[in-house]
Parts: sequence; C-alpha cells; structure tokens
Amino acid sequence: MIFWRRSLPVLITFVLGVTFALQYYVPLPASEALLSGVSVWNQIIAAFAAILGVTSLLHVHYTKIRRKEAGWGYSVVLYLSMLATLVVGFWSGGESENSAFGWLYNYILVALSSTMFSILAFFVASAAYRAFRARSLEATILLAAAVFVMFGRVPLGEYLVSGVGQISDWIMSVPNTAARRGIIIGISLGGIATSIKIIFGIERAYLGGGRD
Amino acid sequence: MNDFARRMLSLDRRLIFLLIAVVTLLPLLYPFRLPIRVSPEAQKIYDYIESLPEGSVFLLSLDFDPSSKPELYPMSIALLRHAFRKNLKVVGMTLWITGTSMAESVIAGVAQESGKEKGKDYIFLGYAPGGANVIISMGQDLYAAFPTDYYGVKTAELPMLKEVRTLRDIQYAISLSAGSPGVETWYVYGKEKYGFELGGGCTAVSAPGLYPLIDTGQINGLLGGLRGAAEYETLVGVPGKATAGMDAQSATHFLIIFLIMVCNLLYFLTGQEGRRRG
Repeated sequence: MIFWRRSLPVLITFVLGVTFALQYYVPLPASEALLSGVSVWNQIIAAFAAILGVTSLLHVHYTKIRRKEAGWGYSVVLYLSMLATLVVGFWSGGESENSAFGWLYNYILVALSSTMFSILAFFVASAAYRAFRARSLEATILLAAAVFVMFGRVPLGEYLVSGVGQISDWIMSVPNTAARRGIIIGISLGGIATSIKIIFGIERAYLGGGRD
Repeated sequence: MNDFARRMLSLDRRLIFLLIAVVTLLPLLYPFRLPIRVSPEAQKIYDYIESLPEGSVFLLSLDFDPSSKPELYPMSIALLRHAFRKNLKVVGMTLWITGTSMAESVIAGVAQESGKEKGKDYIFLGYAPGGANVIISMGQDLYAAFPTDYYGVKTAELPMLKEVRTLRDIQYAISLSAGSPGVETWYVYGKEKYGFELGGGCTAVSAPGLYPLIDTGQINGLLGGLRGAAEYETLVGVPGKATAGMDAQSATHFLIIFLIMVCNLLYFLTGQEGRRRG
C-alpha cells in the first residue's frame, strides 16, 4: 500500500516536476506539443477539482447541520441557495440573458457581492479611528505616508494642495515599490525552495495524512 | 479633558458609519466635479493602445467578480470604448467564473454602442477553468483552450480568430483583476513566455502590490482602482461612473484623514496613563 499512497505520487511529482522545469528551456516542437497536451489535461483536472470543492463544501455544511453546531442556520441557507441556483440554472439552460438565471445573477449575486465589498469602507473608517495611532516612530511614518497617499490620490486633495499628487505618486513608486519588491523576492525564494523540496520528495505534506 | 478624550476615543462606531454614509451620498447627489489628473501609469496604457495599428488584436481579460464591479466595470467600459474607437479586434474572456455574465454584458454592451459586430470585430470566449493553465493552454493553442466561444460557436470557425491561433498572435493584453488569477498570472504564464505586451488594472487595495511590475517593464501601465478608471475615462473623453464616483471618494478620504487626526489628537490628550492602556 505504501507504494500507491506514497512512492508513486512522489515518483510522478519528481518526473513531471523535472520534465516541465526543463521543458521551459527546450523550444522544440515536441517539447511545445507536450506542454500543450498537459495544459489541456490540467484544465480538465481543474474542472473536476471544482466538483471536488463543491462536494467538500456540502459535506462540511451537512456535518454542521447534523450536529446543530453554532451558526448551522447559515449552512441551511447555503444548501437552499445552492439548490435554488442549480435548479434555476438547469431550468434556464445555463442562459443568463433574459432568464431567471440571469435575474438571480444580476439581482442577488451582484447585489450581495457589491454590498459585502462596500461594507469595507465603513469598517476601514471605524478601524482607522480606533487603531491608526502614532504609538512609535514606525507607526508615525506609516501614518504620515497613508495620509499623504489618501490626500494625493483624490482630486480634492490635489485641488487644495498642488503637488501633493506627485508626493503620493512618489510614495507609491519608490518606498512602496522597494518594500513590495523585497517581499516579492522573499516569497519567490520561498516558492523556489518549496518547489524543489516537493519535486525531490522532501516536502510531502500535500500527500495528506492517514494510514500508509 | 482626559475623560472627554477617552469618551471620544470609544465613540459608538455606528456614528462613524453614519458619517461615512452621509459623505458618500452627498457628493453623489450634488457633485462638484473637480478635474482629474492623469497618472503616468494610466497614460502609458492609453498611449500604447493609441500606437496600435487598426486591426491589431487586443485581449481584455476581465478577471473579477461582482464584488469589484464598482471599480473595475467602469475601467472595462473605458478601455473597450478606446479599443473599439481605434478599430482593434477585441478578444474578451475571464478567468473568474462568477464574473462571466458580467464580463459578457460589458463587452456586448460597449460593442453594440460602438456599432461592432460579434465574431468579426469582437469575440467573447467566456470562462475556462484552470487559471494559469488556461493562459498556458492559450499560449500553445487558443482553439484547444477554448474550443467554443461563450455563445457556443467553434473558435476555429470565427472569422476574427482566423489569424489568431495562440497568444503569440496578440498585440496587447490587459488583465483587469481583483486578485488571483489576475495581472501577475498573466505576466508569469503569458507575457513572459509568449511575448505580447501586457497592461494591468486592479482594485485600489491591490494597486500598491503591482507597482514593482511597472518599473521592471513586466507590465507597461497600471490603472489602480476607481481613480485609475476615472483617469482612463478622462483620457477617452467620456466621463462615466468612475468620474462621478471620484467626488464621493474625495469626501470619504477626507473624512478618514480627519478621523485619524482627531483620534491621534485625543490619544495624546489622554496622557501617559491613557496611552499605556492603549
């Protein structure tokens, strides 16, 4: 059993990992054809992963409802919403134009998603009032930068203080870019290290737990 | 004084919510229409589209869902108006399943307004699962990545795609993204390998993260949030919802700055004891 659960997946990962790392540097027709074939397969697998995701979601919420855990009512809402969307979607033949499915999309999904996102403005304002304090030198610098950017990114700020827009642009394209670049380099090095560990079978967490 | 400052610091947040609602609503009802300065990042995108010859293929990937509609939808409209005005051939698509209907409606809507014909002047490929894999697949064979367009027509039979077999045949691509997959995915798996020029548009919250890509030339320009959309509307010369929303954004930013100032003033007024309590 250990061969099927551990050795084979590690072997497949190693062979495909090395092959496609090298494929990038081999611009031959056979190499390109290999990439084409595999990318289509990846799309097919991604579609099945969506089914797996929905199944997993339904299972998690079914358990919540069965055990009557805190907030199980929301899980019932999830089941009803998903069922309603599926029924209406099939009934409308997947058509979104002038159909019940389109109505669900435009007047429920769009409205709910926009509401969730717009609530952010209220919470950001409240959080800024409560927590954005100059407690230290670093916090003061961050606060000053935030005020300049907020001031300079809107027409009213530029209208009241000429040149503040350029200061805001400078903050975004110099200190912000430098900090962000450092983060990107760190993340990239971490990504490369993790990829190498996965390809060579050192990192096996993706195989999950359970019995061998 | 200390007591007053402490009471003010623990102000009922519903009052702040009310203030935000008022300062957002008032400028929408009574706009003051201040001029919008165009940033160099937005100007570069505009200039690049201007420099494309008629008939060039322009790919617009609308990688967002309805939650980012207020920021990215006006951006899509302004970009499409510009592309259609320049008589570019537009390929629309999305990597976000929940954005498919919205993406279709914006492309079809602006195309109709510009008198463009589906299949000949523009196409909408719709959604395909896989994120980065879709881009790689399109780079290898667009017909395999999208065997049919959103309306069920075989991509290989579309007149507009006769000479577009892979991403290498595209002159310019822009990803309007609210996260991942988005601009970075298009750069890593698309531009870097298949060599087309790439521009980006994103929500205001993710704009600071994409600035490093501009300096290095990984993207040739960036439209950031509602401000970016308003800048592009200004460049195209057709003010829309983004321009209208800038007054509300101005007022909201000023209120937040005011709240931060007041909060810090009160914080210092509470003295050392209050600061220790935090």
